[in-house]
Amino acid sequence: MSGFKRDRQGNAKKFDGPKPAPKPKSIVRNAYTPLFEHLRDELDEHHDRRDRIGKASRDITALSKKIIFSLQRARKIDDDLPQEIQADIDSRLAEIAKLLASIAPEVQNINRLRYARSLVCLEELVEALTFAHYVKTQTLIGHEELSLIVEDLARQGAASEDVAMPDAGEDVVQKPTEAADLPTVSITDDDYLYGVFDLTGEMMRFATTASALTGKMASGDAAALDDDAPRTIVEDMHDLGSFFEMLPLRAGNRVAWDKKLEVMRQSVHKVEKLGYDRVVRGSERPAGWVPDLSSADQSEGLE
Amino acid sequence: MAPPMIDPALFDQLKTKIEEDTSVRKELDQIIDELNQHVAYTQGVLSRIHSTPRSKYPVLLGQVEEGIKKEIETVGKLSEFASKYPYYKYNYKWTRMIQDAISTVLLCAWLGGMGSESKPGEVCHLLTLEDIGELFRVPINLKDRDAFHITVEEYLLGLINIIDELSRLAMNSVTLGDNELAVQISSFIKDLHAGFQVLNLKNDILRKRVDSIKYAVKKVEDVVYDLSLRNLIPAKAASE
Repeated sequence: MSGFKRDRQGNAKKFDGPKPAPKPKSIVRNAYTPLFEHLRDELDEHHDRRDRIGKASRDITALSKKIIFSLQRARKIDDDLPQEIQADIDSRLAEIAKLLASIAPEVQNINRLRYARSLVCLEELVEALTFAHYVKTQTLIGHEELSLIVEDLARQGAASEDVAMPDAGEDVVQKPTEAADLPTVSITDDDYLYGVFDLTGEMMRFATTASALTGKMASGDAAALDDDAPRTIVEDMHDLGSFFEMLPLRAGNRVAWDKKLEVMRQSVHKVEKLGYDRVVRGSERPAGWVPDLSSADQSEGLE
Repeated sequence: MAPPMIDPALFDQLKTKIEEDTSVRKELDQIIDELNQHVAYTQGVLSRIHSTPRSKYPVLLGQVEEGIKKEIETVGKLSEFASKYPYYKYNYKWTRMIQDAISTVLLCAWLGGMGSESKPGEVCHLLTLEDIGELFRVPINLKDRDAFHITVEEYLLGLINIIDELSRLAMNSVTLGDNELAVQISSFIKDLHAGFQVLNLKNDILRKRVDSIKYAVKKVEDVVYDLSLRNLIPAKAASE
């Protein structure tokens, strides 16, 4: 027998160990109980779904952030990514695809906007995807084009899960016709616009690192375009800045919009300062001179 | 030439979308404003229950029903317009107003109003979410399609509104000499309080409002206590 727990006076305590589970509150049933029980089931369904979406959303956000970090390790724009970065991104995207597929059935039709607040991850995903597109092509991907990519991701995620199931052999044959009917996750205007707002921040960070480490302002490849002066990231930032300034004010969440607009302006200012520095002082450095920041570059690359 | 950073078509497309959105919001604001006026009027008329003896309820409730009729008309207008757009995109704009409109109907019906020829109104009658949907002629708790409807939360929040109002009425009915009504209100509120305990609530607005019900319970219990202390509870109500 194990010992008793004793109180200060040395008497054995009445209750030992964890308290017995509280008796289920005996609910006094009355005329309205069935009505509330019915509504409770409806609310539970809603809360449970929101929780499931929220969990997947957190994971997607984390993965998107990792993609962005990987992209920040690239140094050139308008070019294919270094292989290890591309591989890193691909594997993260595959994970995101599975997560998207898992919540896709929950966010169809009316539920897409009902749970919009639980789906903030899409903003982050838009940021990652637009950034990847920018680094590769030096252009801003359009809303519809991007939405198609995300929808495809969700379908791929669903398909890869089916293949993993051993007894799915019969279904595989029908897959091509079914794939189009699979539920997917769409990108709303807000997801897109707010994601692109965040893109400006990433471009600012990219411009800063790239110019500090290479001594040049990141720009397109001059040779490939037989252009005398390829477009630099400074011009792109100005384009993007004017793009948002010219858009009519968003009537919905004015406060959030204004805040994003302000942050974007600061990013633009930072990058134009970089451009100025590069023009005025950049020539003072011998071409190809790499500052002592190279050690920082290595440690970053090792991460 | 390298493609430009931003496709000009993209800008136009987004600009058009934002402009559309703004004009939808403007139109919605107008309808909601109209609903606001009808709800405020109806609430104003309803506030007279606190100084009206029960014998004069039929006249008063008749006036309330006039206001409710206007509410129903405007909700119909809102439903027709809002159903053209994704429900949850704009729903936050009108949800408060809809809750208040539901409250006026629930309260009016509980006091014995909203009767029809086939079903005369009776005191202590709680309309369900389904009843509310029928009265406003809009769907409720829609899940399978995207259109205007009344949600479970809106109904519950509307219900909590009338609990506050009724707890006040319990006191005032005693002042007016109608002790029986106070006892009826007390038992109704206690039943509802038990009902809300059945719900599994999350940390949201509904939870906050449900937490406030206990103060209403306390208020009506105090009234009933005062009455019982002085043997003022009518025999008929006591046996209920």
